[in-house]
Amino acid sequence: MKILALDTSGLVCSVAVMEDDRLLSEFSIQHKITHSELLLPMMEEIKKRIALDLNTIDAVAVSAGPGSFTGLRIGCATAKGLCLAMDKPLVAVPTLDAMAYQFYGSENVICPMMDARRNQVYTGIYTFVPEKEDEKHFETYFSMKTIKAQAAMAVEDIAEELNNIGKTVVLLGDGIPVYRDKLEKLLKVNYIVAPAHMNRQRASALAALAQIYLRDGKTVDADSFSPEYLRASQAEREAAEKKAGGDAQKASENKTDKKNKKGNDSIYIRDLKAEDITAAAQLEAVSLGSEAWSEKQLLEASVLDDTVYLVAEKAGNVVGLCGVRNISGEGEITNVSVASECRGRGIAYDMLEKLLLRGRAIGCGDFTLEVRAGNVAARGLYEKLGFVNEGARPGFYDGPKEDAIIYWKRNSTND
Amino acid sequence: MNEKNVEKIERRTEEDGVIFMSIKNEEEKESVSTDKDITILAIESSCDETAAAVVRNGREVLSNIISSQIALHTIYGGVVPEIASRKHVEKINGCVRAALSEAGLKLEDIDAIAVTYGPGLVGALLVGVSEAKALSFVTGKPLVGVHHIEGHICANFIEDKSLEPPFMCLVASGGHSHLVYVKDYGEYDIIGQTRDDAAGEAFDKVARAIGLGYPGGPKVDAAAREGNPDAIHFPRAKTTEKSYDFSFSGLKSAVLNYLNQAEMKGEEVNKNDVAASFQKAVVDVLTEHTMEAAAEYGCKKIAIAGGVASNTALRERLEQECNNRGYTFYRPSPVLCTDNAAMIGAAGYYEYLKGSRSGMDLNAVPNLPLGNRERRYHGKS
Repeated sequence: MKILALDTSGLVCSVAVMEDDRLLSEFSIQHKITHSELLLPMMEEIKKRIALDLNTIDAVAVSAGPGSFTGLRIGCATAKGLCLAMDKPLVAVPTLDAMAYQFYGSENVICPMMDARRNQVYTGIYTFVPEKEDEKHFETYFSMKTIKAQAAMAVEDIAEELNNIGKTVVLLGDGIPVYRDKLEKLLKVNYIVAPAHMNRQRASALAALAQIYLRDGKTVDADSFSPEYLRASQAEREAAEKKAGGDAQKASENKTDKKNKKGNDSIYIRDLKAEDITAAAQLEAVSLGSEAWSEKQLLEASVLDDTVYLVAEKAGNVVGLCGVRNISGEGEITNVSVASECRGRGIAYDMLEKLLLRGRAIGCGDFTLEVRAGNVAARGLYEKLGFVNEGARPGFYDGPKEDAIIYWKRNSTND
Repeated sequence: MNEKNVEKIERRTEEDGVIFMSIKNEEEKESVSTDKDITILAIESSCDETAAAVVRNGREVLSNIISSQIALHTIYGGVVPEIASRKHVEKINGCVRAALSEAGLKLEDIDAIAVTYGPGLVGALLVGVSEAKALSFVTGKPLVGVHHIEGHICANFIEDKSLEPPFMCLVASGGHSHLVYVKDYGEYDIIGQTRDDAAGEAFDKVARAIGLGYPGGPKVDAAAREGNPDAIHFPRAKTTEKSYDFSFSGLKSAVLNYLNQAEMKGEEVNKNDVAASFQKAVVDVLTEHTMEAAAEYGCKKIAIAGGVASNTALRERLEQECNNRGYTFYRPSPVLCTDNAAMIGAAGYYEYLKGSRSGMDLNAVPNLPLGNRERRYHGKS
């Protein structure tokens, strides 16, 4: 399998062409951030130097975020254009996963950090788990496991997570020089700062990880693809904050209040945070009735390493919730609910689409879920997302008594 | 790789600098001449519309796809660059695909790819530029970077197939107010421009001040139809003698002052009268300058372009003044006045004929100057 990989998510502009276990070419520049001027000429150069016939490419891989908003857009728009013109699938690899993959086989914990400004980093925690093929040989294979899926968080918080894990950690990424002094004080575990040849994004690592994705059929639809920014735009954040503030002091009817009253219809999908728990549990209670989880259940589930919980936020309010748990490689989707007044706007679809992507990042290959047989809207949605009805559990639900339909989205089925 | 391919690639490297020509269309390259139909795929993403179009010979629109974000930005009272840029990434492939399929063509049927690379919002422009470069890279079709405003001017070529330069063009949009003398295809002399706010910007600000909201142009236009244009006299900015430059910030301030004073006195303001009177002041200035310039340049053809060109009062007034003087008045239909890719295809066609080509290092240029911008030429024009 031949992959053309590109990463423009950070300070490095990097392109690679990889065929199976051969890195045919890699070209990286970390000089000035003019990725728009660099990316295509670099590709052109590679194409020329290795006499690359673009028809032989099997897939395009792109660093799918987080990262510099502009950098992600250059990379993703380019990748989309390439896929459209070549009629090839797109492999979207989370930026930090690809960065961590440079340390294949390491027995340490890997923690890439990208500077996300405002005292935050885009980060995640990874480890490599040995899988011995058979007893006769000594070669060890590793698979990368995600301990903490990529997120935007305070340096203090990620340091605390690393301290809790208690293992030696390898640090890399452009966030390290920025927060090195801080990390020095915060970290209570041994740490290694990666040297220059492996301390930034590299398209070769992205390509290597993308090969696994491609082998497992984890491609995405290039036309509808957009990167995972992990952050709403400033305007959306401000609007959400204003709205929240406006609600609190609704009594004072002033000019700015009038503006806010027009409301904010944009939906922002992000990770469930501790402060959302009450709202999320209420949403569940309304949508799912007796099957709803309690706040405690939800909180406990959401902090596990093998789960991802997402919420849809509208003007500061939680209007949607969904979660996935990785049970030995199978993603069990739970707690899907959307506030009744916000239904029919594609929120659930957007949320689940993200959840599937994030689920893959924590190692879920196939996904499964159960739904009330009579819930036509939900079933239509799951089928639209590529889920297939594979059976039923008669009389599974109470009040009213109803069958549960079991849906699966298998690896082999395309997105 | 077979021998044939190797041979072709070697031929390509020999003629370095012709890197935009692919192996595939090598035969076609030799036959490129003005006699042959030239079909251009155009992409535009400079502000809040993601657009793609297929245009034949600069004048015939085979498809014109526009994915508008206006509804999205209305919430924020204006275009939010980050949101606009994100939407472009989402929509761009869909627009390109729709443009091709509506034209009934495949990517390989296209002769060149034209894209807006400025002026505009840098993050937004980059999406179109990146997409266009990727398409050009894979297909080997030549890439032609187009100036957004030159695109607006060229919308007139689509609207009226008989229009030929030279003509005088008033360009007025959210970010621009220019009086341009179009000497020849692809040759633009700026003879007047705004010294401060663009006309469209003034419309947006005034619309916000009288509570009409975004987008300002159409809202003011609609309100003005219900109001009396002579109710309030707002000052017309006088720039120095013999200059065709515009200034709208004074006018905008006058409107804001009027509103403030009315509020302090506790007087009820008739929004429609304010809109109508403000609009009349803008139209007066734009029309006078255009007519004076036309007289000086001996130009009997007047065209308008840009978002503000869809303003009814401006169109009516210019048309009337043209009729009085025996000039011909050209104006694009509203769909061609707003941002669209068909106009980029028209401008791109004339650039293509002149031999203007962009390299794979084409970047977005948010403040790209009109007219005397740098162009790279290739081959005979």
